[in-house]
Amino acid sequence: MFTDLNVFQVAHAMATHAGHRQALVSRNVANADTPGYTVRDIEPFSSAFETDSGSFTAKGSRSGHFGQSFSFGGLFGEISPETPADPNGNSVSLEEEMFKAVEVKRQHDRALAIYRSSLNILRTSLGRS
Amino acid sequence: MSEFSKSLSVSSSALRAQATRLRHVAENISNADTPGYRRKTVPFQTTTKIDGASGLVTTGRVHLDRSDLTAIYDPSHPMADETGHYQGSNVDLMIEIADAREAQRSYEANMKMFDQARQMSSSLLDLLRK
Repeated sequence: MFTDLNVFQVAHAMATHAGHRQALVSRNVANADTPGYTVRDIEPFSSAFETDSGSFTAKGSRSGHFGQSFSFGGLFGEISPETPADPNGNSVSLEEEMFKAVEVKRQHDRALAIYRSSLNILRTSLGRS
Repeated sequence: MSEFSKSLSVSSSALRAQATRLRHVAENISNADTPGYRRKTVPFQTTTKIDGASGLVTTGRVHLDRSDLTAIYDPSHPMADETGHYQGSNVDLMIEIADAREAQRSYEANMKMFDQARQMSSSLLDLLRK
């Protein structure tokens, strides 16, 4: 655990993903009454994570291999889900967006909890409480 | 962190747009009995910019509803023509109230998103404490 600190990278990637998704959800909610606006979303964290590293087990073959694409910039594929549109061409469903917002909040909280807990373990191992 | 500030600015632009819409609805309702008044509508549009600040909601130019004014029968009215009718406004109160209610719901939804982005960024900053 203490050699490459994967858990921090994963927590960072998870929090970054939640941040991206939060920006997109707010954009969708903001444009809920704009004619011709189509919903945007990014792929869920689990699938982005799996396609990136192959599996959940770390493959530490070289430094920066694991979770590399998350480290900076956070390039998540943007998708436009197929949802039925209103007569004015707007495809935002507020209920769906509220659901996504709660999901994002929970994911972000979870990532921060993991980060904080790992930080506490590290601190404890250094002899500080 | 910049994602959160983007999220906050998008939400606040939408709050402003909904407030503008609500103001026009209020104007329409208060002028529902003004002779010759045409109801105002305000369109929403999304800004698309390359430099990050995309997705902001802005309100476009105010349009006047071009539908026919209602003819009201009141021979004693000073503006009545020879048949005893005068032109009222084309405001339909039910449409305006439905519009106001929708604006309120959207305002609340944006407020919720604003609050959530704020909570998320403050809990991120809490990691630095202790």
